[in-house]
Amino acid sequence: MIPIDELKKYEILAELDPAELKFLSGMAEVTHAQEGEVLIQAGLPARTLYILQEGNLMVAFPDGRAITLHKPGGVVGWSALVSPTRYTASVTCLTDCTLITFPGSELLRLVQRNVVMGTKIMRNISKVLGRRLPFLQEEDRQRLREKR
Amino acid sequence: MGGFSAISVGNGWLIAALGISVVFFGLASLAFIITYFPRAIRWWNDHAEKPKYTIELLRSVFSKRETGTHISADTGEGHGPGGLDDVEEALRLLTTHMKEPFKLPRLIEVAEQRGLARVHSTINRLLVKGTMVGETDGLFHWAKGSEKEEKPHSERESGAGSKG
Repeated sequence: MIPIDELKKYEILAELDPAELKFLSGMAEVTHAQEGEVLIQAGLPARTLYILQEGNLMVAFPDGRAITLHKPGGVVGWSALVSPTRYTASVTCLTDCTLITFPGSELLRLVQRNVVMGTKIMRNISKVLGRRLPFLQEEDRQRLREKR
Repeated sequence: MGGFSAISVGNGWLIAALGISVVFFGLASLAFIITYFPRAIRWWNDHAEKPKYTIELLRSVFSKRETGTHISADTGEGHGPGGLDDVEEALRLLTTHMKEPFKLPRLIEVAEQRGLARVHSTINRLLVKGTMVGETDGLFHWAKGSEKEEKPHSERESGAGSKG
């Protein structure tokens, strides 16, 4: 369980009210990963959404291109919320990292039940991913459009 | 006399058991060797072919302990042989073969194959310092003039997210 005050610091959860954050705090956990550790493998079923709390990450796309995340609040594993729930990129820790994790199935269920909350989360995810648009394939964009 | 009686008289059962034992022992030994063969090869690749690297690594570790140099995991300082500058130099050499702009995951893969220590944190350090730059197309290059002077950059999301 993560304190609500901690969760609302992150862009992806910024618009949520305290009651909505309380739901999320119950399912969130903190995890640690070491430098060089592969958090996410492209192509595998997406079961977890991660928010970077501390550390640095590299998101590598199957064509070899990559972006790096250095700021707290970076989101990886968004595929856990979008059908067909398979990771589209691999994520590796550039340094030791601390991350907040959300189980994809539980989060997806919550988002589907609570439309208002789901819309807020998906809108923020889209905003974050907008910066990575050059990397998304047309099918990914379509998935995001449908979800929104 | 013939059949089983002849076998018994001629110590046939004992010889058969001995033969089975010899074959079993031989196969077991072979299986054992095959099991440990990859480890031996890996050890050979890591150490035997790079004695200088190992010696330098040990030397740098001990010299750092003596001088009390702070080693930071997150910044990539305090690297093995030769420290950050040497690793950076090695990475620059690797990228000359790859041409700029280069693919970062490929650079990491090649650097690890060459036995460079702590490639990930070194690259992170270079990105944060602005020595290595991620472009919006997801490819990376060295900052112009970064060989001579390096200007510190604030932390940011490189590559496509460099705007925020």
